[in-house]
Amino acid sequence: MKPRARTAPLVAAIALLLAACGAGRRGEPLVGPMDLSDPAVASGRTVYARQCNHCHPGGEAGLGPSLNDKLLPRWLMRFQVRHGLGAMPAFPEEQVSDGKVDDLLTYVKALRATEVPDTLK
Amino acid sequence: MHAPDRSARALRDARGGFPRRTARPGRGIALLVLMLAASSGCYVLRPSHGGGEADFDGRRELQPADIAVPPGYAVELVASGFTFPTGITFDAEGRPCVVESGYCYGEVFTVPRLLRIAGAEVQEIARGAANGPWTGVQFHDGRFLVAEGGATEGGRILSIGPDGTTTALATGLPSMGDHHVNGPAVGPDGRIYFGIGTATNSGVVGTDNIAFGWLDRHPQFHDIPGADVRLADQLFTTDDPRGTNGEEAETGAYSAFGSRVEPGQLVRGAVPCTGAVLVLAPEPPHALELVAWGLRNPFGLCFTEDGRLLVTDNGYDERGSRPVWGAPDVLWSLEPRSVAAGSPSPATWCGWPDFVAGHPIDAETFAPPGGDTPQPLFAEPPGTPPEPAALFPCHASANGLDISRNAAFGHLGEAFVALFGDQVPATGKLLSPVGFKVVRVDLATGVAEDFAVNRGDITGPASLLGNAGLERPVAVRFDPEGEMLYVVDFGVLLQDGAHAEPQRGTGALWRIRREELPGTDPVPPVALAPVALPPVTLAPVTPAPVTPAPVTPAPVTPALAEDIP
Repeated sequence: MKPRARTAPLVAAIALLLAACGAGRRGEPLVGPMDLSDPAVASGRTVYARQCNHCHPGGEAGLGPSLNDKLLPRWLMRFQVRHGLGAMPAFPEEQVSDGKVDDLLTYVKALRATEVPDTLK
Repeated sequence: MHAPDRSARALRDARGGFPRRTARPGRGIALLVLMLAASSGCYVLRPSHGGGEADFDGRRELQPADIAVPPGYAVELVASGFTFPTGITFDAEGRPCVVESGYCYGEVFTVPRLLRIAGAEVQEIARGAANGPWTGVQFHDGRFLVAEGGATEGGRILSIGPDGTTTALATGLPSMGDHHVNGPAVGPDGRIYFGIGTATNSGVVGTDNIAFGWLDRHPQFHDIPGADVRLADQLFTTDDPRGTNGEEAETGAYSAFGSRVEPGQLVRGAVPCTGAVLVLAPEPPHALELVAWGLRNPFGLCFTEDGRLLVTDNGYDERGSRPVWGAPDVLWSLEPRSVAAGSPSPATWCGWPDFVAGHPIDAETFAPPGGDTPQPLFAEPPGTPPEPAALFPCHASANGLDISRNAAFGHLGEAFVALFGDQVPATGKLLSPVGFKVVRVDLATGVAEDFAVNRGDITGPASLLGNAGLERPVAVRFDPEGEMLYVVDFGVLLQDGAHAEPQRGTGALWRIRREELPGTDPVPPVALAPVALPPVTLAPVTPAPVTPAPVTPAPVTPALAEDIP
């Protein structure tokens, strides 16, 4: 492996770490109401409110880090939900079913994809 | 490890690089962990950032444009210059009336006041004694009902006439600890509902209570359960500040600091107790009954159209002898059923000190990072906690609330809740400030959505963000028509380590309305002229008698109405 290839994961990880330092605000006053026409998004929003929001309020940092600027792929987010990491607990299937996790991840990705207009910052 | 299937491997090959790492599982797992860790950051290593950790030069600017609300709504500044305002109501003529608390964490005593905003003038209706904080007010049947926190002499429910004549409907409520008497709210049955917060964070008096200041005033004070309970085998060892030679103290649950308890020891319930919602009859002899206990700090109370009692409850902190991590604030939706002391039919138990938002406290997730998992204090739980109606962010301090009841304002039937904002690091650790906003809660789904927030890159109070928006929303109330939402802003409360530093004269009153609503031309904001209030000197306090554990169930002995000079 070339040296550049060997350092790429480290660089990527550092970039992710830096990206995770921001808050990533997405609240309705700043970005307008969320499109809830997708039932999975609406369902995931409810799951998020019960399971996630108290540590990642609105996807922002709080007790836990921000999710809105977290560049993890869906499968890796699912892995973290199921297995936990560090201070974050694992959420077993008896607590959140596979279907609900699907909805949850759809919601988190939709929330993340929402851009904050500069005029509202 | 299962070998990846060939089609998946081919797909990853096409994306480049990844199959090579799967061929070396040690590196793959390490990278996976690294990616997760990097994206999450390491909680333990990352510094804490609380909203109160701001530099403040003593002068607060106020600018509605710095507050963002959803499209179609507008923010106005109504009045400013309050010292520690905590509640709002409207008098018979629809004029907003605000209470100033007269006490704040940091052991800052001022004069509790009830103020009326009449046009461009602020009129003082009544003053209280050095027994704040006055935490809330509701105008009902021609009089103002005020919750007097009772930091020095125990809590009271006051009835204040428009001329300032004050009568106490209940006195001697056990609220001299971390949390106080809150509310009140008049129910559909005409009775007066109010909350009493717990003496402690999680049931054990510890050295953190010295920092609050009350343990010096009331060294025998502790929590009181709302029903008979037997204690588990737990004692908590701390430094003993009463000694001079580095002694240690052992303290049990529901006991005074330095008092041991035995496994299985019976602690008798009482009414009034701590950590509870109680109800007071409006007519003499003002019978007092228990609605629910096992709450921690039931601050905001209001009723839904269908008669449910909504209560905001501040979750556990990561402090003291029994710290709890990751505890959200809670919105409870309770049936306003009450029981008298000694009733065989128990009142609702919401889980404190052994459950967190309906979950057993001995779940690993509630252990502070690197610390011990808290264990139950009760040998057997006295009930099954209900499911919360909604959860709020950890340390957000969900406080006053009201229900939208006018379709013209919108969000009919939703609860609007003031999130006071964190007091980190006194209460724990946060990666970023939490609260400092108003949210609305869909009671059908439990989803809380931001409604009024400061503009800026992060959530936080204006003093931290360097703008002129919200500081610490502590109460919300719709006007009598339900067309405008008034927001009581406590003002600047800084945190210097564990020490709170509230800033006098920085409180404000905002209101939010529909932009297109006719007949609501903005009023010029009222600025309170600085008032020369007499200095507050605390008289030497004789510790109030505290029900020791175990105790005989106290009969309901409501304090008779007592005229206050």
